[in-house]
Amino acid sequence: MPNDQGLLGRLRAIVGDAGLLCTPEELLVYECDGYTVEKKVPDVVVFPTSTEQVVAVVRLCNELGVPFIPRGAGTSLAGGTLPIGGGVMITLTRMKRILEVSLRDRYAVVEPGLVNLHLTNHLKETGYHYAPDPSSQGACTIGGNVATNSGGPHTLKYGVTVNHVLGVEAVMPDGSIVQFGGPCEDGPGYDLAGLFVGSEGTLGICTKVWVRLTRNPESYRTLLGVFETVTAATQAISAIIGAGIVPAALEMMDQGIIGALEAAFHFGFPLDAGAVLLIEVDGLEVAVEDEAERIEAICLENGAREVRRARSQKERLLLWKCRKQAFGAIGRLSPSYCTQDGVVPRTKLPEILEFITDCGRRHDLKIVNVFHAGDGNIHPILLFDERDADQVHRVLRASDEILQKCLDLGGSVTGEHGIGVEKISFMDKLFAPEDLAVMKSIREVFNPDNHCSPGKMLPTAGGCGTESRPYQSHPGRRAAM
Amino acid sequence: MKMSEPQPGFQPETQEELVRFIAENVSSGRRHLHPIGGGTALPTCEAESIPVQLNKLNRVIDFPARDMTITVEAGIRIGELNRILAAENQRLPIDVPQAEQATLGGIIATNWSGSRRFGCGTMRDYVIGISAIDASGQRFSAGGRVVKNVAGYDLCKLLIGSRGTLAIISQVTLKLRPQAETSALVTLTFDSLSQVDAVLNRLLTSATRPMVLDILSTTRPPQLIVGFEGTSREMNWQIETLVEECRPFEPRTTESLVGTAAETLWKRLRDFSIDSKSSVTVKASLPPSRTCKILNLAIESGIAVQAHAGNGIVIGHLSERVSTAEQANSAIKPLSELVRSCDGHLSVLCAPNGWNALNAVADSWAGSLAWTQRLKRQLDPHNLLNPGVMAFGPA
Repeated sequence: MPNDQGLLGRLRAIVGDAGLLCTPEELLVYECDGYTVEKKVPDVVVFPTSTEQVVAVVRLCNELGVPFIPRGAGTSLAGGTLPIGGGVMITLTRMKRILEVSLRDRYAVVEPGLVNLHLTNHLKETGYHYAPDPSSQGACTIGGNVATNSGGPHTLKYGVTVNHVLGVEAVMPDGSIVQFGGPCEDGPGYDLAGLFVGSEGTLGICTKVWVRLTRNPESYRTLLGVFETVTAATQAISAIIGAGIVPAALEMMDQGIIGALEAAFHFGFPLDAGAVLLIEVDGLEVAVEDEAERIEAICLENGAREVRRARSQKERLLLWKCRKQAFGAIGRLSPSYCTQDGVVPRTKLPEILEFITDCGRRHDLKIVNVFHAGDGNIHPILLFDERDADQVHRVLRASDEILQKCLDLGGSVTGEHGIGVEKISFMDKLFAPEDLAVMKSIREVFNPDNHCSPGKMLPTAGGCGTESRPYQSHPGRRAAM
Repeated sequence: MKMSEPQPGFQPETQEELVRFIAENVSSGRRHLHPIGGGTALPTCEAESIPVQLNKLNRVIDFPARDMTITVEAGIRIGELNRILAAENQRLPIDVPQAEQATLGGIIATNWSGSRRFGCGTMRDYVIGISAIDASGQRFSAGGRVVKNVAGYDLCKLLIGSRGTLAIISQVTLKLRPQAETSALVTLTFDSLSQVDAVLNRLLTSATRPMVLDILSTTRPPQLIVGFEGTSREMNWQIETLVEECRPFEPRTTESLVGTAAETLWKRLRDFSIDSKSSVTVKASLPPSRTCKILNLAIESGIAVQAHAGNGIVIGHLSERVSTAEQANSAIKPLSELVRSCDGHLSVLCAPNGWNALNAVADSWAGSLAWTQRLKRQLDPHNLLNPGVMAFGPA
C-alpha cells in the first residue's frame, strides 16, 4: 500500500492539514462502523469540504492505484464503511450544508454529510419534514442514508430513503461528476438515482442529494399494547395489517428489552409483560381517533392485557426516545451485542420469533428483540461478552441460522442495514448466480477497477487482500439503529 | 398511448418459453425484439423488429393477501389485477387508462402514472421484486417478496421506465395498499391561471391532505381538481375545509363530487392521455411551481393539457390541426424553452411514425447520458431490445 509521503503530501495539498488524519491513534476511530466484529484501519482519512476536493482525491487514488471508500457518520451496522484493503477513507461529514429548500417544489438540496435530523430540525415551523427516520437519525448522515437506503420506524407508512430521493450528484469512481435525477420528476433515461440509492458506496460517492419533503401529519395517536406473550403480540400485528390498516409505525419490544428500557428511562413499562407493541397512527385529527380505536380493539381481541395511550406530546416523545435509544440501553444487559436485520413476510413473524427463542436456547445465548414489526423487519439482538471467544463463535452461528430461517420463510437478510461485509456470504443464498452476474456487470459499468468501496455487497468483489478478523479486543462505538 | 395494431410475433405461454426464445435468438441471427404488453403505451418499433407478445404470461404466482403483497407474471392485464386485489380490499393505486388492455409489465416499462401520483406515488414505490430476461436469454431477479429489503442493487428501479431496452420484464412482486373507503373530487374554477397558482401555493400548507392536485385546461376557464381519499368523515371535513381555504381566492365555481358521483370525472382524469384525436402527445416535467406558467404557454399554443400540479408533470395534446413535424415543433418550442430554463424535461409520448425529429426535444441529462449509454451497452451489447426507443440515441 503506497501509504507514503507522496500520497499523504498530495492529499494534504488537496484538503489541507486540517482535513487529514494519518496517525495510528487518529485512525483507530475509523477502523469500523457500528458493525464491530471486523476491523481494519484505513491508511489515511480525508475530510473534503467540496465536490471538487472529492474529485481531486478520487483522481489521485486512481493515479496511484489506491482503493478509496466514502464514509458518513459511521453508524452503518453491516460494515459498509470497513476499509477493506486499507486505502483512503473519504469522510464527508464536513460537507454538511443545506444548499436549498424549496417548499413550493417540496424538495431540499443537501450535502451528504448533513445529519438526518438536522434537516427536519431546519424545517421546523414550515409544516414539512424529511420522512426517513432511522433510529440513529441524530447522528447518521443523509449521504450514508443514500448509500444504505436507510429505513426507520415510520417507513412503514412513508417508505424508505429511495422513496424520498429525487436525485443525487455523485463523484464517480473515475473522478467525473454526474447528476442522476434532480428537482424534476420523471427524468430522461433510466432511473439511475434509484439504482444509486442503496448501492453501498460501490457505484460512486454521493456529494449532493435532492430530497423530497413531506407534509407533517396534523395529529398522532400513539398506543402501547401490552401482551402476555410474544406470540400474541405478533398475531395482533398480523391482524392489524390484515385488516388493511397501515399505521405510521408498528414496533415491537419483548420482555428482555423492556427491562433494560425501564431501567434506563423509567417510562413505566410493565416489566412482567411478554411483549409490548408501540403503535402510532397519524393523519387528520378527524381520522386518527377512529383508526386508533380499531387498532385498540384488534389488540384486545388478540389477547392484549391492556392498551395504553400517550396522553401528551411529551409522553409520545418519551416513548419514541425509548424506542430509538433502545440500543443504548443494551449496555445494561451485556458488554457486547450483535444485531441482525432479517425480514420475513409479516404473517411469518410468529414463526421467526419462535425460531429466535429456540435458537437462543440451543446456543445458550440471551436474545432480546426490538424491531419494525409492521414491515416484518426483525432486529434480534444477541447479547454476549466479546472477551469470550466461544460466545462470539456461538453468536455468529446463531446469527447465521436466524438469517437462513428468514430466507426459508421467503424473506431477506437485510431490510435496512445493508449487506456491507457482514452479510456478503448470504448473497449467493439470496440470489441466483445469474442475478449476481447482472449486478456485477452493472458495477463494472460504474466502478470497473473496483477501487471504490472494494469488497462490499457482491460476493465476488474481493481481491484486495480482505482482512477479516472475527474478533478484536477494542469494540468500536455502538451505533444506535 | 393509442392502441397499435396487433402484429404477428412470438407469444410465449411460459417464462421458460420466453427464455428459450431469446436465447435462440442470440444464436440464430440476433434479430431485434420489442416486448409488447397491451400495446397501449409504447409507440410501435421499427418494422423489422420482432414483437414479443407477453399477454399470455398472466398468472398469479402468489397472493398472500394478509402480507399485502402479490407476485404475478408481467403480462397480467391491469383490469384483471385490479379485480383480484379488490376482492381482498386491496389495490395498486396507479391510475391506468385502457386497464383491460394495458399490462402490468407495460406500465412498469413505461413508468406510467396518473393523477393519484401526488398522494400515492408511482410504480417505483410499489415494485419490490422483479424478474426479467436480458438480451442474451438470461433470466435474472432482484428485490424479493418482502416489503422492506435492501439486499443487492435495486434493479426494480433500473427496469421501471426502461421501456423494454434493458431486459424483458417477466415477473413482478408488488407492495399493495388497502382500498380507500371512499373518495371525492372537488373542482374549482378561477378567472385566471395566476389565481390557480396562488391557490396551489396556499394548499402547500392546507389543513387537508389532497391525493390529487390536477389542472385540466380543456374547459374555459381551466379547472383545478383536488382529490381526497379516506373515510366519509374525513372526506366531508376535508371538502369543507378546502372550500373554506379557497374562498379568499374567489373561485368562480366550486363543485364537490363524492363517491360514485365523481366517477365520470375520475375517468376523465384517468383517460385524458388517450382521449384525443391529436396526433402528437407530449409530456413535460418541471418544478411544480412552474406548472401554471407552462399551462399558459400551452394554451397559447393550442395544446390541451392535464397537469399533475403537485408533481410538475404535464401531459399535452397538440392541436388536431397540427399535420407536420414542423408545425408540431413550433407549437412545442415555447414549452421546451421554459422546460430547459428550469432543468426540466420534455418528451414525446406519441407522434406519427417518421416524426423522429421531435424526439429528445428537451432533455437535461446533467452528465448522465454517457452512463446511460454505457449501461445499455453492457446489458444489451448487440442492441437487440427495443433499439431506438429510448431518447438517448444509439448505444
